[in-house]
Amino acid sequence: MIVKPRAFSRGIHIAGHKSPTEHLPAERLPAPSELVLPLSQSVGAPATPVVTVGQTIRRGECIATRSGAVSADLHASMAGEVTFIGPRPDGRGGMTPCIVIAPSAAREDAFLAPLHDPSPEEIVARIGECGIVGMGGAGFPTQVKLTPPAPVDTLILNGAECEPYLTCDDVLMQTKSEEIVRGAKYLAKALGVSRVLIAIEKNKPEAIGKFFETDLEVVVLKKQYPMGAEKQLIYCCTGRKVPLGKLPANVGVIVQNVATAFAVCEAVEQGKPLIERIVTVSGGGIAQPKNLICPVGAPLSALAEACGGEQNAVKLVAGGPMTGAALTGEEAVVTKTTGGFLFLTREETNADEPTPCINCGRCADACPMKLMPMQTEFYTNAKEYENAAKYGGVLACIECGVCSYVCPARRPLAQAIKTAKAELRRKS
Amino acid sequence: MKILSTAPHIKTRRTTRSIMLDVLIALLPASIAGIVYFGWQAAVIIVISLAAAVLTEFVWYLIEHKVWRDARETVRAWAAQFDCTSLVTGLLLALCLPAHIDGWYMPLLGSIFAVGVVKMLFGGTGKNIVNPAIAGRIFLFISFTAMTVYPAANFGPLGEVSLDRLQTGATTLTSGLQGGEMLSNLDLFLGTGVAGCIGETCKLALLVGFVYLCVRGVVKWYLPLLYIAVTGLFAVALEGFDFTWFLPSVLSGGLILGACFMATDYVTTPKSKLGNIIYFVALGLLTAGLRKTTGIEVVSFCILLMNFTVFLIDLAIKPRPFGYVRSKKEAKK
Repeated sequence: MIVKPRAFSRGIHIAGHKSPTEHLPAERLPAPSELVLPLSQSVGAPATPVVTVGQTIRRGECIATRSGAVSADLHASMAGEVTFIGPRPDGRGGMTPCIVIAPSAAREDAFLAPLHDPSPEEIVARIGECGIVGMGGAGFPTQVKLTPPAPVDTLILNGAECEPYLTCDDVLMQTKSEEIVRGAKYLAKALGVSRVLIAIEKNKPEAIGKFFETDLEVVVLKKQYPMGAEKQLIYCCTGRKVPLGKLPANVGVIVQNVATAFAVCEAVEQGKPLIERIVTVSGGGIAQPKNLICPVGAPLSALAEACGGEQNAVKLVAGGPMTGAALTGEEAVVTKTTGGFLFLTREETNADEPTPCINCGRCADACPMKLMPMQTEFYTNAKEYENAAKYGGVLACIECGVCSYVCPARRPLAQAIKTAKAELRRKS
Repeated sequence: MKILSTAPHIKTRRTTRSIMLDVLIALLPASIAGIVYFGWQAAVIIVISLAAAVLTEFVWYLIEHKVWRDARETVRAWAAQFDCTSLVTGLLLALCLPAHIDGWYMPLLGSIFAVGVVKMLFGGTGKNIVNPAIAGRIFLFISFTAMTVYPAANFGPLGEVSLDRLQTGATTLTSGLQGGEMLSNLDLFLGTGVAGCIGETCKLALLVGFVYLCVRGVVKWYLPLLYIAVTGLFAVALEGFDFTWFLPSVLSGGLILGACFMATDYVTTPKSKLGNIIYFVALGLLTAGLRKTTGIEVVSFCILLMNFTVFLIDLAIKPRPFGYVRSKKEAKK
């Protein structure tokens, strides 16, 4: 069967760097000696702790509850004792409120009762109770996304995984396709949609093969960055363009990550909250790249140890290399949205100094949103943020990082765009 | 402590220097053809122009970075940041000079003017308003009479410029425009017997370089072709739709050198795709029109003139992002 891969205009091709981990089944991380669970792991308000220091907790027990409409519950990812509640380093140079757990050997789970043939309302409630958030990186609470402001007719499962190095979704799709399909059906039922698509980039033939065996509609995508970006993905799958400033629901589409669908399946069928996920540890600066099943809150140092330790890494990244956050050191922890930790060497990161813009236009040619990054940077450097929006189109930016990637002059274009956006938001 | 920066954390291998090296490689066939056609004088002009261009940038850097503090460190820093743009300027300037010149000070002065005044005074790479090589050529053109006399290309032994075939009044195109004898299109294409600048006579060599630039993704193939096609077609229209004018207009003079290598200079072209199309179409119309009205070769003047309009074009064009809704704009009105 020949399937023509779907593509969008512009965007770029980036070397995948996925080969070290794409065929490695996920291993379970050895139990870490300490778990640090940040209270804010999703878009929206941080959760409110409901446990006290010294309290013994079971695996899966709710330790912090939602505060506000856009927020997510937090659950203990291992049984143990709460040792500390308060600010801890977040690995990016700041502090963030956390609950620290000293895990014990107890193997007692406090999961919810499994649901059999649940109603849409029950599914949404269960997803909220299990603290499920979008696991692709943005971390929008899933139960909020399941009550869209406009009627929807299509659910797209995002298995594009266009970020280089990361293979967490790929190995999940290779090994857990049945669960993902069932999770997708629960999501579809909660939304009341009949059409469910799964979109996968063509560089994951094994995952594509698995889903051709199921009854989901499979969309094969061209290997193109940023294919996993919501607007580009919706366009490739349905031909619909999300208008500027509007949500995917306005064109009748909801996008969910494949890992989210898997978590939904576990939440409904086993009552298991979102307490663990697959994390890819890769890059030239780690001895043995691996896919690890990690409890939420596992410290990066434990992951690095499980992968044989770092070697010559000059940069540590949480997430993918195009959109992830640089880390100061190994005090970072696995959160619900962490797809990977990358140990990048000097050759990989290419940390050159910026040189003058030569106006080559490569950033504009590559921008998937058809913006003018060089104009944005020019006006942002002059602190003329209104002009940056007018001539650069900053406000439509999806922060995919393509402009900085292609810049031969090594200009920090994405950084300038983020600055301009923040300044414009502050002023309005 | 690891390196901290905002995303993305990986980057393409392409650098400004690698792009400029590609342009130099693309100009090699034309340079070799020039030396073969015009002899050792052409080689000397090219070397002087290149050396003067790089030296000018070097001296500028030394003064700007206060060399007297630490000479060795300054020179090393210069070498590290050297992006080859002045080499491109020097080579392009040499390629649009006649092989028969008043003296060796001409390419020297031209290069110093192009790099020192037109580029560095305005802030260096990426900050110049007009193309330095074009400005250097025009500086020489209005300063020296040698720039109006071009020897014809010949396959004679190296070192001999056939002075008996010197033509006054610029190029073959000019003689054609002024009602004189025209060479065959094949001669124009290969540059044999064509009077002109060192680098502009052999169109074949220029097109080979242009194809290389397109393959390497340095220039967009359609922009120079747009310029060339518009020039040819407008010339045809001006001659009362006499299509025999198409090939001579396209193949003579500095059109192909200007279109493929000079007008496509990143710094002095608009930023957006639409802006570039407007720019190159306007260039074509201007070139054909001015050639007809003035009777001389005007490609370099047209590019210089259009360079000044670039910022206006950029200000007129605003991006239309993916998902742009037209009704929003109409509602605003």
